[in-house]
Amino acid sequence: MNDSLLDKRMKGKVISVHSSRGGTGKTVIATNLAATYANKGLNIALLDLDFRAPSLTTVFSKGIRSPIKHWLNDFLDGRCTVEQALINVSEGYNLKGRLLIGLANPAIEAIRNIMEKSRAWEVTAVKKLFSLRSTLFNDMNIDCCIFDTSPGVQYSSINAVISSDISVIVTTLDALDLKGVKNMLAELYDAFEKRTVVLVNKVFPETRIWSSERQKDLISKMEKDLKHPIIGVIPCYCDVLQAKRTSLLAVDQPSHPFLRNLEEVAEKLEHAI
Amino acid sequence: MSASENKSPTLNAKVLLTRLADEFNQVNKKIDFLIELNGKMLKTQEEFLQRITNKSYSSKDIKLEPDAMALLSLPSSLRKTVMALYKLERATAEELASETKRLRAVESASANQLVRLGYLKKKREGRRVYFYIE
Repeated sequence: MNDSLLDKRMKGKVISVHSSRGGTGKTVIATNLAATYANKGLNIALLDLDFRAPSLTTVFSKGIRSPIKHWLNDFLDGRCTVEQALINVSEGYNLKGRLLIGLANPAIEAIRNIMEKSRAWEVTAVKKLFSLRSTLFNDMNIDCCIFDTSPGVQYSSINAVISSDISVIVTTLDALDLKGVKNMLAELYDAFEKRTVVLVNKVFPETRIWSSERQKDLISKMEKDLKHPIIGVIPCYCDVLQAKRTSLLAVDQPSHPFLRNLEEVAEKLEHAI
Repeated sequence: MSASENKSPTLNAKVLLTRLADEFNQVNKKIDFLIELNGKMLKTQEEFLQRITNKSYSSKDIKLEPDAMALLSLPSSLRKTVMALYKLERATAEELASETKRLRAVESASANQLVRLGYLKKKREGRRVYFYIE
């Protein structure tokens, strides 16, 4: 892969990672996708927009070396700038490029506070998510920004979706997940005319899709049904499920097959943007 | 053989395109006139309401939030304008048209309708009218 080409494709782009329900592996995908791109030399900002169930503070605990002064909640409330709300964790993980993370405050008080926000505040939040592009891409030399959103249809996730360039919907093959994705695509993504791709994750070995023929067949059926491109099919790995949430696979186990699958997804995403 | 039939196909296409552009300009002017007329009618309506209710009534007073959920309930043509304004922060109908790739008149009509509904505000600066989300 030509790095300058990768740089050009991803430059100034915002990717949101979303799902219809919880438990699809959305955060594992978002964090490892960010680390994969950073390992390729890109400067990445990963923002936790799942304000109701923040998780990045735990995932990146190894890389956070000083007490957190500002949260993304503070940025959206106008109490700090986006620069102040970002933490550079690249050194902690020896990444080739810079990885900056913006964290959602996991304190119950902060979660309750977010749930009580007015519609006027939500409008300001969307404006801020749009305006952070200029700071990230022009002032901070960030190449690409990834939003890890909350699952389903709620303000924080729709705000993230409408302010991004492309959305990756992570789903399992569970009927409820698929039904939810279908509804979201029709009623949310198509309404906003957003470029959207679907990533199938946690596919059980029993489905025997591992021959390329079967995989092609599954992808073709799903694309016909969802009317959107399927960007990848990732098997369910027990060790990924059982791994500590503080383990960043892209750094701790770079040769893991999950990562190989995700690298393919990352490359397809570069072309889809 | 007539003179026009003697012209080359490129020349004929150029004449046709010039005529089409003229027609579009005429349509644009008519839409602008209708928008202006609509604005005057609304003002008359406000004045009438003010007289009969003895209360100040103005569409400028109405404020609705164009938040994500509200956007979902808007018709797609209006939603597109709000989405463009989120990106541009404030814009003229022409700037909106360049963002949405629609006609200036379409954007002008859409943005003015959103102002009347209370989702957007507009401000005149010299000869230019800027739309924005408050």
